[in-house]
Amino acid sequence: MEWTMTANDPGRVCLMQGNEAIVRGAVEAGINFAASYPGSPSSQILGMLGKIARERNFYAQWATNEVCALEACIGTSLANARSICIVKQNGLLCVADALHCGAQHGVKGGLVIVTSDDPSAHSSTNEFDSRFMAESADLPMLEPTNMQEAKDMVPYAFELSERLRQMVIIRLTTRVCHGRGNVTLGPLPEAPHEIQSVGEWDRMVCVSYRHTPMLETLDGLREAFEVCPFNHYTGPEHPKKLIVAGGTGCLYSQEALRRLGAAEETGVLSLATLWPLPETLIARYLADAEEVLTVEEVDPFLERNLQAIAGKNGYRIRFSGRGDGALPRIGELTPDLVLSAVSGLTGKPMPPRPKVSEEPLLERDLNFCAGCPHRATFYLLKRAMRRAKDPGIVIGDIGCYIMSGQEAGHYAYQACNCMGSGVNLAEGLGQLTAYCLKQQVVTMCGDSTFFHSILPGLVNASYHNSNMLLMVLDNSATAMTGFQPHPGTGITAMGDAVQPMQIRPVCEALGCKVTEADPFDVEKTAEILEDLLRQPGLKVLIMKQPCATLMTKSRRGKVKVWVDQDKCVGDGCGCDKFCSRVWGCPGNSWDFTKNKAAIDPVSCVGCGVCAKLCPAGAIQVEGGDAK
Amino acid sequence: MFSTFALDTQVLQRDLCTGCGACQGLCPYWDSVHGRTVCYFDCERLDGRCQRFCPRMPTDLDALRRKAFPEETILPEIGPFRGLYLTRAADETIRAGAQHGGTVTALMELALREGLIDAALLTRAQGTLDPAGALVTKAEEVRSCSGSSFQIPPSLAALNRALREDRYRSIGVVGTPCKTLAVYKMRHDPLPENDNHAGNIGLVVGLFCGWGLDWDGMRELTGRYADPAAVSHMDIPPSKYHSLEITAEGKTTSVNLDEVIPLVRPACRACADMTAEFADLSVGGARSADGWDVDKKWNQVVVRTKKGQELLELAIAKGVLECKDVPESGLDKLKKASLGKKRTAVRTLREKDGTLGYLEPCGQMFQDL
Repeated sequence: MEWTMTANDPGRVCLMQGNEAIVRGAVEAGINFAASYPGSPSSQILGMLGKIARERNFYAQWATNEVCALEACIGTSLANARSICIVKQNGLLCVADALHCGAQHGVKGGLVIVTSDDPSAHSSTNEFDSRFMAESADLPMLEPTNMQEAKDMVPYAFELSERLRQMVIIRLTTRVCHGRGNVTLGPLPEAPHEIQSVGEWDRMVCVSYRHTPMLETLDGLREAFEVCPFNHYTGPEHPKKLIVAGGTGCLYSQEALRRLGAAEETGVLSLATLWPLPETLIARYLADAEEVLTVEEVDPFLERNLQAIAGKNGYRIRFSGRGDGALPRIGELTPDLVLSAVSGLTGKPMPPRPKVSEEPLLERDLNFCAGCPHRATFYLLKRAMRRAKDPGIVIGDIGCYIMSGQEAGHYAYQACNCMGSGVNLAEGLGQLTAYCLKQQVVTMCGDSTFFHSILPGLVNASYHNSNMLLMVLDNSATAMTGFQPHPGTGITAMGDAVQPMQIRPVCEALGCKVTEADPFDVEKTAEILEDLLRQPGLKVLIMKQPCATLMTKSRRGKVKVWVDQDKCVGDGCGCDKFCSRVWGCPGNSWDFTKNKAAIDPVSCVGCGVCAKLCPAGAIQVEGGDAK
Repeated sequence: MFSTFALDTQVLQRDLCTGCGACQGLCPYWDSVHGRTVCYFDCERLDGRCQRFCPRMPTDLDALRRKAFPEETILPEIGPFRGLYLTRAADETIRAGAQHGGTVTALMELALREGLIDAALLTRAQGTLDPAGALVTKAEEVRSCSGSSFQIPPSLAALNRALREDRYRSIGVVGTPCKTLAVYKMRHDPLPENDNHAGNIGLVVGLFCGWGLDWDGMRELTGRYADPAAVSHMDIPPSKYHSLEITAEGKTTSVNLDEVIPLVRPACRACADMTAEFADLSVGGARSADGWDVDKKWNQVVVRTKKGQELLELAIAKGVLECKDVPESGLDKLKKASLGKKRTAVRTLREKDGTLGYLEPCGQMFQDL
């Protein structure tokens, strides 16, 4: 697919993912600089930009965190560079300060922020509606309804950004990021945007008196948005029943009207300019409307604003949407949900729904991959906690290991806030151990999270000698989002080999007592963990074992793991399916014909830990020559 | 109910766990840390050896003892009874390292030497603290396990492991009443699908027991009076002394029992068995008119089974044990002390929820207490 990103073939129609469409749009806009920290559902964008950066003569970076990414973009804007910063919803919250300050000082070269919201939090801890950030920071925001718009909006946003001298945000949602659609390619610029020397009197400074001119800029933009080509209307000139849709809601609504046969009499106003809203355009379609359904992802942002516009104009309209229960208050929109809401609006009966299957789908919990070192870590942690006289407090953090809060990690932690928060929550609790709190405090972070946002917390914890244990689960990867490089990996987004940062000396330089352990060496690591839990003060334990996906790539020799079913106790007393039920690795399967354990050779990566834990010694490991 | 939930809710959470280890050494779920029984993960089996063996899961003690002992031998106060003896090891060197008269050490040495048992499950306590179960197979190893500890170790975990391995045909088990009860449950109420080779338990020697003490508390208390690593002996003399004696480096310190009582394992207050009623022989400290200075180097032995009788007679015949006359009031005093512990157990259990708790299935045995 990558050739479509750089093909200079205007007019050619290509099938593209939304994320790819953004990349193509950035290339067509002639960007100079791109930075991001990985976050689903938009992780692929910078990955692809990194691969084509040299060819298209721009710079791309997997930054240590989103703040680094956005602030670097702001910096390059001072030299007139066109820069793009890609974040997910949590990343946008992470950069809130830089965003608000930046909105006040404005930009010189175009700066576009692509933010991806994850309705239903498929690959997130929480839902968040990033439109409120645009409103809060008074920044223009656009949202595409299909892949073509996603591509076209990027050059449009850059032009807008440079015209207004302001950052512009493009909001995506999961289905737009990951869905595919036809995109007609535009021309590629012969050279990237022109970088200019920074003049002595060039200024991008956040000062409070810049607020008024900034608001005036936004007022001016409202007029431009009234005629923005990305806003569409279909339906009668003076609709009685109106659907106002943003993002995915537009196609879902059109499909629903088609299925219900109500397209003729129902208006659909599809809004791409989310902030500031084109109030005159909206008021024109609200004027004769009796009922308005708003179809939007995450929160009733448009719905509330429509109500305000109707109120300002004295219209009497019945509004429905996420705010009144016509659509659920939380969770991603689906065509079926929208169909039901549109049926309610139009009074057309729901069409019959063909039954796909009588068989229920198997429910599966989230689980660590086969051979994941985190499984061993949380197995050991649970045992250590159960062994403690005053069972300790475990604080989670964000990464693959967030799954340890569920069955996969034996419900490891009591609290988990946002990325990088674990060390701070633990720091506070650790101080309470001098004030009658009798428990050990343990927290964790991955290697990527360590660099992302643990460091300031670790400085704090070390400086104040909090009584806690930080486990750095070093699997040499940003595994959850797809193996993007981070400062510990020794590679950059553009494929350059660099000196990897070592976590141990970083911690030691901060005054931490550091121990390393291999979670696969279960017996020894259990002792190390128990010993550390007995020691007062701040301890760092680096659990070193590469992510299973990396481990299988680097291993020489084939490993065969198998179950000696004559030895296997199965579900009998003394085992009760310990490997498949408690250890829970996808590689540990169950032979229903013999009621004994089995290894799924497709899933098993040959880490061999289950063989060490099998109470009957029935699991055998043959071969293998791990590097 | 899942096995692990059953033990957790009916035993651990009710402060009834004695720490005997009967639930351990069988599976990856149960373990023990400094005398505390811990469950790492939930087992979802509805029946299992852990809950079957646990001496504090509801048990019909009356039915169990009818299975194991002839009814005519059973005395209500102290269980199966074929005779009461005052004994001591003839070998002075055994007595020197023993808790009292060294009877148990002498008997186990003899049993191993004569091939009556091929392994012995004992308790080894380094300096009386932090004891652990020890499986010995040679008579010469028995003495390293002489002497008592007031911390109850989960030694049955070692027994379970040994039975699982099925390497020994006749294992002799020495233990406190909670442990010997568990052993009889293993033998007479096994899990139908997995008997854990309980037929390989060949001899059970019970130890009289008033109560066990909290591990951490005991270490701390000991540390206040002596170097814990240097302690060689601890004892609790008859009640009129109201003390715990700690001997370290030849010096004995008397600790007021008031300091010790708060460390009693709550589970032990709910124990209705002082004399280890489920055993072939039960052995304790002697009590006689000769006074503590003499008694502390003697044992009293309750013989409960034919096998126990034969072993004791063999020991006397071979000159391994010395005997002296039991005072006339000896049995009555023992019965009285035993009943006292039963009353405490009944009171403790009733205070919890008004019932007899784990003794409920044989409530008629305790109704008059």
